[in-house]
Amino acid sequence: MTHFGRSVRLAVVVCATLAMLPSTAAAQARTPPPRPAPEPTVRVRAFGEVGARTFTASKSFEAVLGSRSGVVFGGGADVLVGRNLFVSVGISRFQKDGERVAVANGEAFPIGIDTTISIVPIEVSAGWRFTKPRRTVIPYLGGGLGWHRYKETSDFATSDEDVQFTKTGFQLLGGAEWRASRWLGVAGEAAWMSVPNAFDGGATSAAAAFGEDDLGGAVFRVKAVIGR
Amino acid sequence: MRPFVRLTGPVAPAVLVVAAVAGWLATTSAQQPERSTGFKQLLSEINAPGIDRGLRDADAPRPAPTRSSRWVIDARGAEYLRDSLIVRFRPGTLPGTQRALLAQVDASPGPTLSYADFAVVALADGADPVQAAARLAAQPDVEYAQPRYRARPLFVPNDPLYSRQWNFPQIDLERAWDINRGGSSSVTVAVVDSGIAYRSATLRYTGVAWRRDDGVNFPALGTVDVPFAAAPDLGTDRYVSPRDFIWDDNLPVDLAGHGTHVAGTIGQLTNNGSGAAGMAFNVKLMPVKVADNEWDEIFNSPFVGTDDTVARGIRYAADNGAKVINLSLGRDSRDGEGPAPVVRSAIEYAVAHGAFVAVAGGNEALDGNPAERYAEFAPQIDGMVAVGATGPDRRRAVYSNVGSHIELVAPGGDFARAGATGGILQQTLDLDLTETFAGPVSRYTAPRFDVFAYFYFEGSSMATAHVSGLAALLVSQGLTDPAAIEAILKQSATDLGTPGRDNEYGYGLINGRAALRGMGVAR
Repeated sequence: MTHFGRSVRLAVVVCATLAMLPSTAAAQARTPPPRPAPEPTVRVRAFGEVGARTFTASKSFEAVLGSRSGVVFGGGADVLVGRNLFVSVGISRFQKDGERVAVANGEAFPIGIDTTISIVPIEVSAGWRFTKPRRTVIPYLGGGLGWHRYKETSDFATSDEDVQFTKTGFQLLGGAEWRASRWLGVAGEAAWMSVPNAFDGGATSAAAAFGEDDLGGAVFRVKAVIGR
Repeated sequence: MRPFVRLTGPVAPAVLVVAAVAGWLATTSAQQPERSTGFKQLLSEINAPGIDRGLRDADAPRPAPTRSSRWVIDARGAEYLRDSLIVRFRPGTLPGTQRALLAQVDASPGPTLSYADFAVVALADGADPVQAAARLAAQPDVEYAQPRYRARPLFVPNDPLYSRQWNFPQIDLERAWDINRGGSSSVTVAVVDSGIAYRSATLRYTGVAWRRDDGVNFPALGTVDVPFAAAPDLGTDRYVSPRDFIWDDNLPVDLAGHGTHVAGTIGQLTNNGSGAAGMAFNVKLMPVKVADNEWDEIFNSPFVGTDDTVARGIRYAADNGAKVINLSLGRDSRDGEGPAPVVRSAIEYAVAHGAFVAVAGGNEALDGNPAERYAEFAPQIDGMVAVGATGPDRRRAVYSNVGSHIELVAPGGDFARAGATGGILQQTLDLDLTETFAGPVSRYTAPRFDVFAYFYFEGSSMATAHVSGLAALLVSQGLTDPAAIEAILKQSATDLGTPGRDNEYGYGLINGRAALRGMGVAR
């Protein structure tokens, strides 16, 4: 099974578990609910996330890592301003092992040197939540900037042969948050990121061989949100 | 058809250099805490000349090297001393505190070291240096602590003539050897050439009367018994499937010295404390003789080196398991000679059977730069490359052909710019004892092929051998597809001349380190 497939299964399990939580609260609603306290104007929430990431430079990553996708883990915080506006800051991590290659005629040939790629994006996004009274599922859209720290290390490498850089990109995102309880929500989110001109380190690279230079891609993630 | 080589006279006797290592040894001994050490004394700055013992094949096998019990090699291969570690205390840490911290890990202070702002401390028997260092490093008074890992120099062969082999550092081969040291004995490189001095034998020939190119007539030698020996610096037990298409037998002995020299660049025994180094010194060599020379003619060989002979040799090599075929041969169009489809077909056959083929790009740049009939179709075949030559200054050698067929360049030597030592140095036949036909008739005698010397040769032949050697290392690394080998050689080459591919340097100078490292996503 692929990492993507495992991620989807994990997301389903998380959602199902959280779906059972409100039933207890409903059973206790025999008396009129107390008047809800007015929501604060600014609310801060934390979230953890797990998801799957695919790369725009799909041929390059598939050549070296054997797959164009992988699992990401992360977390962060968001700030809700009023009922609709949100600003979020998140950090996630992708890491996968592979093997360095030679590329000929669009085909990759492993060359027997192990390599590890890790990517840590820090994303700052802002957007709009489409809230309505009594709506428990809240769609949202947003976008923002990302700083993507890329590291590629391999056996036998000297420090100048390993690669480490940080590039700036941008992302667009959309999703829906389901309020499982007053303090807990679950969100499903898709994001598309672009980090142009990330792979400009020279001709001797899979990215150059395949003519790919964007570190971005798509991320599908499930978030557990703690906070009102 | 001829080998692509230019030649100078024999090298002056090699000067044996006695390296001064006293300083290094003194530093090393000073770093052994609480341990009795030996001593040494410099008695003289000079030493008697070394003695060349000649062939060493009668010597008893050397015992395997032993390793001191002081060293630990853990499961991951890390090597460090078991009886001590390195620690640096934060400034201001009192000696008493230092001793107390050390005592917690069964360590005790060592002697004060020069040129060190850290301490090397002794560990009690049984203490684990890695764990002790980790425990110490966790203390607030300790800036760092670490085991005494063994430092290794980049691999530089101990062959005494290696310092004259400028060609290997030029292609970053020492750092390539750090990735793959000499290749694998499971890889076979076919040297399709004039043969190789690969075995001992005494062969009986009949020398017929012979007329040299300049018109000088040489008398018939009659029946002669000619001695042969394996080139000492190539070894004796690494040859597979030898074949002679000039004499139609399985004794492809070298009567010219060209093939033996080329084989030396590919696989001269290396780090054996003798002679010169080669690139893929662990691989098997397949001697395939397809080129004849003067002695083959004098001895009246049944076949000569023509396109069909070369084609048969290439096909033979491919059919007998060669993964790399070195073709330091060619012919050109100067005299109206047409293309060589039979050779092209054979090379396509070899590539289709999984053999990478390196072909000499030609030595006639100063003679009209004619079309090279074997190399000219290299750009149309993925898995075959045509190779030009560079000199010690990394410039195209003056003789090295220019054209759209040149795909890579490699060290080939350049006597015109760099002098007599600007060639490629390898062991081959002692030409003083083989080329007796080159002088006056009065000195014409039967040759002997059991005496060897180190000669500087130049030519795209020599350059081609470098590409074959590097290809053999790549195959040893697991890259077996000929097209992929060609691709990584081009992609990793150091661009020279006009940026991008050009007709002088092709895609550039081969780079051993970069080729063996292959490509990651970003670099």
